[in-house]
Amino acid sequence: MTVAQQISIGAPIQHSRSLRQRIADNRWVYLFMLPSLVLTLMFTLYPIFASFYYSLFQWSGFTSAPHYIGTLNFSEVIVDKQFYNAFKNSFIFMFCSVPIKLSLALVIAIVLNDRALRLAPIFRTMFFVPVVTTTAIVGIVMTFIMSPFNGPINMIMLDLGVIARPIDFFGDPKLALYSVVGVEIWKWLGIPMIYWLAALQTIPASLYEAAEVDGANWWSKFAYITVPLLKPFAVIIVLITAVGTLNVFALAMTLTGGGPYFASEVMEVYIYRTAFGAANSLTLPRIGYACAAAVYFGLSVMVMATLQLFGARWANKERAGMSAAETTADGE
Amino acid sequence: MSAKRKMTRRDFLKTASMGSLGALLVAQGLPLAAQDAVINIVSSGADITSDPVTFRWIDSGDQKAVFWNAYFAEYMEAHPNVTIQYDALPWNEIAQVVPLGIRNGTAHDVYQRPLSVTLAQAVNEGWVAALDDIIPDFEAWKASFPGGVFVEGITGFNGKTYSFPATSNKRYGTHLLYNVAYLEEAGVDPQAGPMSADDFVATAKKVTENGAGRYFGFIMGGNQVNRWGAIVREFSRMAGAISMSVGNFDVDLSTGEIPYTNPLYLEAIDVLLRLRDDGSVFPGTLSMNAPEARARMPQGAAGMILQGPWNIPIWLRENPDFDFNIAGQPLLDPPTLAPITVGPGGSNEIHVNAAASDETKAIAGDIFHYLGTYEGQVAWATLVGAADPAIFAEAIAAADMQPLERNALLMFNEQVRVGPSQIVRNADTAAVNLELRPVTPNLAETVQGIYTGQIDDAAAALADLAGRADAELDRAIAAAAEKGADVSRDDYVFPNWDPYQDYGEDKYAEL
Repeated sequence: MTVAQQISIGAPIQHSRSLRQRIADNRWVYLFMLPSLVLTLMFTLYPIFASFYYSLFQWSGFTSAPHYIGTLNFSEVIVDKQFYNAFKNSFIFMFCSVPIKLSLALVIAIVLNDRALRLAPIFRTMFFVPVVTTTAIVGIVMTFIMSPFNGPINMIMLDLGVIARPIDFFGDPKLALYSVVGVEIWKWLGIPMIYWLAALQTIPASLYEAAEVDGANWWSKFAYITVPLLKPFAVIIVLITAVGTLNVFALAMTLTGGGPYFASEVMEVYIYRTAFGAANSLTLPRIGYACAAAVYFGLSVMVMATLQLFGARWANKERAGMSAAETTADGE
Repeated sequence: MSAKRKMTRRDFLKTASMGSLGALLVAQGLPLAAQDAVINIVSSGADITSDPVTFRWIDSGDQKAVFWNAYFAEYMEAHPNVTIQYDALPWNEIAQVVPLGIRNGTAHDVYQRPLSVTLAQAVNEGWVAALDDIIPDFEAWKASFPGGVFVEGITGFNGKTYSFPATSNKRYGTHLLYNVAYLEEAGVDPQAGPMSADDFVATAKKVTENGAGRYFGFIMGGNQVNRWGAIVREFSRMAGAISMSVGNFDVDLSTGEIPYTNPLYLEAIDVLLRLRDDGSVFPGTLSMNAPEARARMPQGAAGMILQGPWNIPIWLRENPDFDFNIAGQPLLDPPTLAPITVGPGGSNEIHVNAAASDETKAIAGDIFHYLGTYEGQVAWATLVGAADPAIFAEAIAAADMQPLERNALLMFNEQVRVGPSQIVRNADTAAVNLELRPVTPNLAETVQGIYTGQIDDAAAALADLAGRADAELDRAIAAAAEKGADVSRDDYVFPNWDPYQDYGEDKYAEL
């Protein structure tokens, strides 16, 4: 009997119990979930609802009494060219970063998953070190490394004759956004690499061994075993990475601050600028306006999260199908 | 005005802290209590508690921190029961920390008001205490300051004083600082007389040629967008396009119009474009902020930078071998040199938290009182120098100050005047400030866009900016009027404004 069959047999018994009884039966589960639930309520759900609430007010954040203005902030945001520029930049960022990052991470994960590679743990750590390095520090250090004046990257390219003049990666409006993408890929490559490694390790070695007995080469094994079996995981990894790539505030601020002239301003920087960025000028911050922009952006991210939900369900079904097939194969 | 230097108290303090105190005392023959010689804690008559108390102070730091760190150490020694917590934070953090602290009851006892919060708003919200009741012998203390420091509508309302401008605002942040060796090599001496913008561009080009890739003519922190606006604005203002800041844009208060369509703005932008086209600008200028650009100068990266006097003490302290000098900002149309105009009152306004305890308010009063004494002002001028000038002219004259800093202050005295203020004229205009929204892109962002080539038509962009700023001012005035403020665009017109003279009470009376 498979685990799925066992669960399905037990299911009617569970459903016959009341909700209170089921909670009582699983009280330890709920107790252990409580800290995480409280933190989620405080730092995720409350800010979401508070953002929507404040978006209905004209408020600088300084006064005790925000002034209610209805949906005026929303109608102002929707005609702001800078909002569309930032929105566009965020999605350009995502569409450039995600495919490159995931492809590179997959290649690295496949190589590191090879048991013949004795130094795999060391390489895995090396690729993961940037992930655990403080983002703001990475940003500042990268401005020196990629500086057009004596920056190592420019110096190497000049010495190799690849370029004739130094490149101002973060100062050239045509390059600034893509340079930030490059640093972001390097910084966060380790995360999808770990996801891919975890996914690869779910593929039974016996499948590869059977394929080798049948004379399959590396490419055939990759195309007909690895790719199909990774597909359910890929959906989740793509969506998690895509949503994560929209959160690049610290890097964007430290590398370019959204400039030059808004060329690399992504949505988070736009929201920060309208909420707090006016602090050095003689105009008041516009918390309500920034919240309205954040609500629009949040809704678009929510659409992606919904896709993620559907993707996860599809992946679960695929995995259940794979497990059933595996069980059947084992039984035979 | 070269930066060759003798041993100063600051050098002494710095070096002593590095561990060679005894040897230096012998070698230099300096008194043991050098710091005591600058700061003497004298009682103001304030009723300071003898119970243990923690007193908290927050400001924007910079060179001010040098004074406060020294002063607070002395103060705690004189009052062992008082523990002073001094937090020096950048302005953008003050803008968040102070309001948050006030809302949740944890604000510092003394703080600087966020730049975007008007005094009227702070008073209306009950954030700030009246100094009249806190500073001992207040009237005499206030009278010791020169006229124009305490101004109704700027530092107080209804006869009460809520704000103490701790320093003079007679300075500007785009004067020339240059590498003496590079400019000598280029055959240029900015001390010979005001440099024209053409000479400035030609000198930058010559320095760049001499540098042959090792150093360049000009550097700026182009990633810090406000620098673009400051340079263009001051070029234009010194050539006669007079204006004052309102919101995040400028208004020519002689006419009430937005000045950006004045051709002088295009001429000023052209100076930057010529520097760019000549290849005279340090590579990477667009991706470095102002402190990074400042730090590159002593490393020999560039010959000239247009920055403020706060660089002087930093370079003197951290780069004693760097031979640099200062001069006024180059002139677009020499010999025309219209003064830079600043607002009435002063700078670095500090406030006492209305919710502070009586014990800490008394300490605040004691400390504020010190800054109103001759000794306090001399100590301030000695330790802070030109970065945030002391208010008493006689204190500046008497202070043990580096020649470069003294020369900077003399230059500001010649080149800076007090301009008119709509708030002094009509306190209701403070309500307009509450309504003003940032105009985006503003002057600084527009200049940056022109420099990078993202904006093709500079004239059209400036005209568009002028139109947007004009509309925003009208909108904010209408919104304030709708909420009951008695304001109009006429409040922004001062036809008797002569930028070559301080705009004083007599001028307001003429309106």
